[in-house]
Amino acid sequence: MKHTLYIIVALLSLAAHAQQEDAWQKWGPTEGLKGGGFIVRAGYVVGGTTPLPLPAEIRKINEFSPRGGVSLGIDGYRMFSKRWGVSLGAHFFWEGFHTSADVKNYYTRVKRDEDVTDGYCTGTNVTNTEMWGVTIPLLATFRISPRWNVSFGPYLSYYFKQTFTGEVYDNEDGIGYLRVGSPIGPKIDADRNTPFTYPDDFADNMRPMNVGIEVGFDWKALRHMNVFGLLDWGLTNIWDPKFEAITFKMFPIYGTVGVAYRY
Amino acid sequence: MNKSSYWLLTIPLFLASCIQPEQENTECDIEAVSLHLENPSDFFFHDYDTLMTVPVTEDVVYDIVFKIKAEAEMQCVPTSFRITDKASLYKIAEDDTETPFLNGSLVDFSNEQVHRFRVVSEDKVWSRNYTLSVGHEPPCEGYMSFDFESYSLDPSGKYYVWEGPKFFNDEEWKNGNPGFKLSRSSAKPMEYPTTPVAGGGPDGSACVKLETCDTGQFGKMVNMRLASGSMFNGVFDISNALKDALKATLLGSPYTYKPTQLRAWLRYEPGNVFQNRDGSKMDGVIDEPDMYIVFYRNEDEYGNKIQIDGNDVLTSPHIVGLGRLPHHFNEDGSDKLTDNPIHGVTAEWQEFRIPVEYRAEVDPDILEARGYSLIIGSASSWQGAFFKGAVGSKFFIDKMQLFCDEKETEQETPQI
Repeated sequence: MKHTLYIIVALLSLAAHAQQEDAWQKWGPTEGLKGGGFIVRAGYVVGGTTPLPLPAEIRKINEFSPRGGVSLGIDGYRMFSKRWGVSLGAHFFWEGFHTSADVKNYYTRVKRDEDVTDGYCTGTNVTNTEMWGVTIPLLATFRISPRWNVSFGPYLSYYFKQTFTGEVYDNEDGIGYLRVGSPIGPKIDADRNTPFTYPDDFADNMRPMNVGIEVGFDWKALRHMNVFGLLDWGLTNIWDPKFEAITFKMFPIYGTVGVAYRY
Repeated sequence: MNKSSYWLLTIPLFLASCIQPEQENTECDIEAVSLHLENPSDFFFHDYDTLMTVPVTEDVVYDIVFKIKAEAEMQCVPTSFRITDKASLYKIAEDDTETPFLNGSLVDFSNEQVHRFRVVSEDKVWSRNYTLSVGHEPPCEGYMSFDFESYSLDPSGKYYVWEGPKFFNDEEWKNGNPGFKLSRSSAKPMEYPTTPVAGGGPDGSACVKLETCDTGQFGKMVNMRLASGSMFNGVFDISNALKDALKATLLGSPYTYKPTQLRAWLRYEPGNVFQNRDGSKMDGVIDEPDMYIVFYRNEDEYGNKIQIDGNDVLTSPHIVGLGRLPHHFNEDGSDKLTDNPIHGVTAEWQEFRIPVEYRAEVDPDILEARGYSLIIGSASSWQGAFFKGAVGSKFFIDKMQLFCDEKETEQETPQI
């Protein structure tokens, strides 16, 4: 009786194993476990370009909302074994955000007609940025199960176009002013009708490239369709090192969720 | 909310935890000074004069001077300061030692002593210096003439300022140049709306030129496309210059004579294109200069200060006397823009007389107690307050005289 039980268990586990092997085959690359292919992705991008950590000049975040947020891309991948592979892609994106924060004694540069004035702002600071570009990720992929992939690796982003605009005006308490030049300079009040505005050339001081780390997952929802999510964490300051009007480093951190077609 | 959703509450907590501890303040201003007097009227014409709001300017050392009655002698007075939050106030002795100043401490104002103060910011990095003293109100003169020969660059070297009579604030004629500097900091002194013209006067001496200037991109953005050249007595409050240019123009100085007539040599060249506030061209409208003299009651029935500014300089109910270059007006009293101005000022120098018409009696006791203020104002675009006018309108002014009640007959017009 005992032997019979052993045999049944062994048979069942063999069957299960076979079934699992079938699953790895079924959801794997088209040419067996070591093959390659392409994945065409479409996603929604959410994120922000943020100083890390937040500088002490930022006292309160009032609002945060994404702008744009579209990514279209293609990845080529190759599996070297049942679990490991690499992928290389090109993701075209339009991403950005709008934020409103209360600031105190925040050093920046504001537009004064054709001139600019540097000074220390206190009040509400609104910032908008949008970026159009392409991200080239080079990732190691790992199959944790037949239908789940995770990937990790560096990426390089190149921006075709960037915008960075913003203004400072009075906060909820009606306080909004600029100390021209230094904290003891003339104090100029501003409100929503007459805000201090960032000069038009802020975006010209943004670096055209960014390097960072991408992590992602793919879930094979259907035979040819994936649901995916990925996070691009920029490690390069978006500002040119020579740019003095923003005193802290800012990094793009954007996530994408979407669907993909798998060839 | 079910139990599993409670983790959502941690998101704002997480975001809040990203906010760094607040930095120490860097600002260090004296915002206001008040003198605690049992009988303010022994020293001041108005009770409200015991409290002085201190403007934030670029001066390296800002002099706070309380003007007291000519015959008054002030001794030790408990004095309080309102300074930037968490800053510290020190009194500097003659040997340069600094001791913390406690509000309500006595300050000895006898013999017009000048006391030095220093405010240090909370972070101890920044400080500002002030002096505090009392000065005796200078007597007003019942006849004044202004030749505008005495002018110099302001401390920042950006624009010109003109010397004025002693009873004017800072003993200067004021104008909108400090505001223009905010929007066009690269402008040269001669590119400002109010400039001197050496040799430009009717007798070959210097005169003043007010010119309506384009405020450029910035002005367009805030819908203030032009800046009329201006000249007035009072205070230009720089902190309000961008937010509300009219409110920033605080007009008038207390005056102890009843003005009757303003005379001035004037000439005017209107700009070519009259534009509306939105920048659109207004056909059939020619720009006009403005010059006015306003006499107003500077205290209300409750003892509160009346401060006329650019918004109500010609309309305030506190005005008792008004004289102005002639203009067309609609039946409802509003300004009428036309192509046939009646002010009479041409491109050639002429002398004009602007009589003051009184709509209320002037009380001699109140007059003596500096209860009325005098405004003498000029503009290169009479609608400049509404940001309407013609860029390039030029108003030249020279040899101004003010006649008052009892003095008018004693003076003669200087020969040109």
